[in-house]
Amino acid sequence: MIKIEGLKKRFGELTAVDDLNFDISRNEIFGLLGPNGAGKTTTISMICGLLSPSEGQIIFEEYDGKDRKSLIGYCPQENIYYPRLTCIEQLLFIGHLYGLSSKYVRSRAEEILDLLGLKGKSSVLASNLSGGMKRRLNICLAIIHDPEILILDEPEAGLDPQSRIMVRDFIKAFASKKTIVLTTHNMDEADRMADRVAIIDHGKLLMLNTPQKLKNTVGEGDILELVLENSNETAINQFSGMVSSLSMNVKIRSGSVLIKYPNILENLPAIKNMAEKAGLTVSEIKLRENTLEDVFIHLTGRNLRQ
Amino acid sequence: MRILSVICKSLKEQLRSYWVLLLSLSMGPFFIFVYFLIMETSELKYTLMIVNNDKGLLADGYTINYGDSLISFFNSIKNDTIAFPLIVHQSDDSIAALGAVKNKKADALIVINDSFSQTLQRKKTDDTVAVSGVEFIGDLTSTGYLVSAVWANEIVNEYALLVTNSKRIIGVKETALGTSATAGGFDMIVPGILIVSLIMLMFTSSIAFVSEVENKTIMRLKLSKLTAVEFLSGISFVQLLVGIASVLLTLLTAILLGFNYSGSLTIMIIIAGMTSFSIISFSLIIAAVVKSANEVLVVGNFPMFLFMFFTGAAFPLHSDPLFSIAGYPINILGLMTPTHAISALNKTLIMDMDFQSIIPEVISILVLTIIYFLIGGIIFKRHHLKLS
Repeated sequence: MIKIEGLKKRFGELTAVDDLNFDISRNEIFGLLGPNGAGKTTTISMICGLLSPSEGQIIFEEYDGKDRKSLIGYCPQENIYYPRLTCIEQLLFIGHLYGLSSKYVRSRAEEILDLLGLKGKSSVLASNLSGGMKRRLNICLAIIHDPEILILDEPEAGLDPQSRIMVRDFIKAFASKKTIVLTTHNMDEADRMADRVAIIDHGKLLMLNTPQKLKNTVGEGDILELVLENSNETAINQFSGMVSSLSMNVKIRSGSVLIKYPNILENLPAIKNMAEKAGLTVSEIKLRENTLEDVFIHLTGRNLRQ
Repeated sequence: MRILSVICKSLKEQLRSYWVLLLSLSMGPFFIFVYFLIMETSELKYTLMIVNNDKGLLADGYTINYGDSLISFFNSIKNDTIAFPLIVHQSDDSIAALGAVKNKKADALIVINDSFSQTLQRKKTDDTVAVSGVEFIGDLTSTGYLVSAVWANEIVNEYALLVTNSKRIIGVKETALGTSATAGGFDMIVPGILIVSLIMLMFTSSIAFVSEVENKTIMRLKLSKLTAVEFLSGISFVQLLVGIASVLLTLLTAILLGFNYSGSLTIMIIIAGMTSFSIISFSLIIAAVVKSANEVLVVGNFPMFLFMFFTGAAFPLHSDPLFSIAGYPINILGLMTPTHAISALNKTLIMDMDFQSIIPEVISILVLTIIYFLIGGIIFKRHHLKLS
């Protein structure tokens, strides 16, 4: 477990990370969600040991006294590699820097190159790889020493669909045995991958929960649109009154009714009953589920990608 | 193990950056070749005009003209050990000969007077007769005149002693140190150029250090268990190999072009190795204050200029000593290791002096290298390797 307690980082007048407190459990995929400049990279840089906190501490529990450098593998947002070394050469080099034996590091390098679809490129200079391949090589370099914790900074940024699927599969496979911390400003990525998500902005933790719980509990909720066959105004008003009594947000449009409520699917049978009681015939039901982006907008009052 | 990995990785990168490597390795041989051409086309010679006004004398029915004999004597001089520096031209027109000196087409004019033969003849029988039949004319402020006059005076006296069957009052013996008797201008410049080939190492070394910063791979090194000392030592070792390769290539080129050296090659390699490490240490200071290879090429020019032109590497340089330590003069130029390295190489390769004689230079190089490495290491660590 990684315990983050009262973590702060100041750069002069700017407080990049402001009193963060949370735990990251073993074998979970933990997402740090936030817009650019939210403090995600600063936070993980402190977890890696690249930055020292201004205040607070990071405690690594249950890792059998392993040193931080062996524990953590870090894949930065930018592709960082040795352009004049081949894929296998740089993996061997980095492996040796962690004190691994030549025999072990070679078999490990071949294994992970295969895992990330770079086996056929092991003797190719890194500078000659495509963008997606460089990204995958970047991940290989982060895990060559078989770390217990893998930190991925924007792992899917700039990836082609093929590489994205490969990276996603790798993350899921890796997470079955290890801990993954990933930062992203991509809501879909966090929603799909993370077991828990911490939303941070301006260096502060806004909310921490599973993506589903965040979507179910934060914001205006899912949007259910009922397209009506008849538009009897009295019936619609009656139906609106019944739905509003359940604290649901109702909007009437010509020929349809929009209802906003968290986790609305659970209430769908009750809503249908109300419509029937009011004498309305529903010809079509459209559902747009609450997204993490909606959650974020609700929490911060602005769009994520601004 | 880790340092070995850094060496292997750095060596591969260096060999694959073959343009930079080629530039660095070819600079020394290139300079040697250029200096060889310059020295070959501008060999140091002094032009001497001689006007013979000697009327000669009649003896036993034969005409004797010692003035003509003196000119023949000048032309017959072929020194076995020291290259004869005079080109002798005889002229019958004293005004034209004087004009040549005035117009700097000749360095000195010797006028043999009309009674030269008669005076010498009398000297044969009467030792009290003073021989004063030769006039030297020239610009006394000109080094060319001074050298020509000294040589010519010696030859005239030698001839007079020979003809009058006289003996020198004082015998002078000249002993040349090392190969200095036979060393030409080219030989004298080679030790400096050997050091120039090492000064070029400043660029490859600085680029090797700073490329980790430029590629941001320094972050991977910070995350790993590699120490700053292992990192810096590994890269330095590879650059040391480049330095030694460079100096050997330069020496080989010089030998092929006729460089005549006398000292120990082992001592030369030791000095080259120490100087290489010193330049690498200095490169660390450059790498510490820049962030990219482009910046190295801009910033590195200034120290390279100082090291090349203010240490005696490109041409001989003199500076007054500030103070002495155990008799070894220290001057402001001595703050740069090439100054001591060139002095040591001159002593070894030209003067054939042993290791004992270059200990002050060796100590100076060592001390300066340690200072460079400490300054460079501390700044580099603070700027590029520190976990902030």
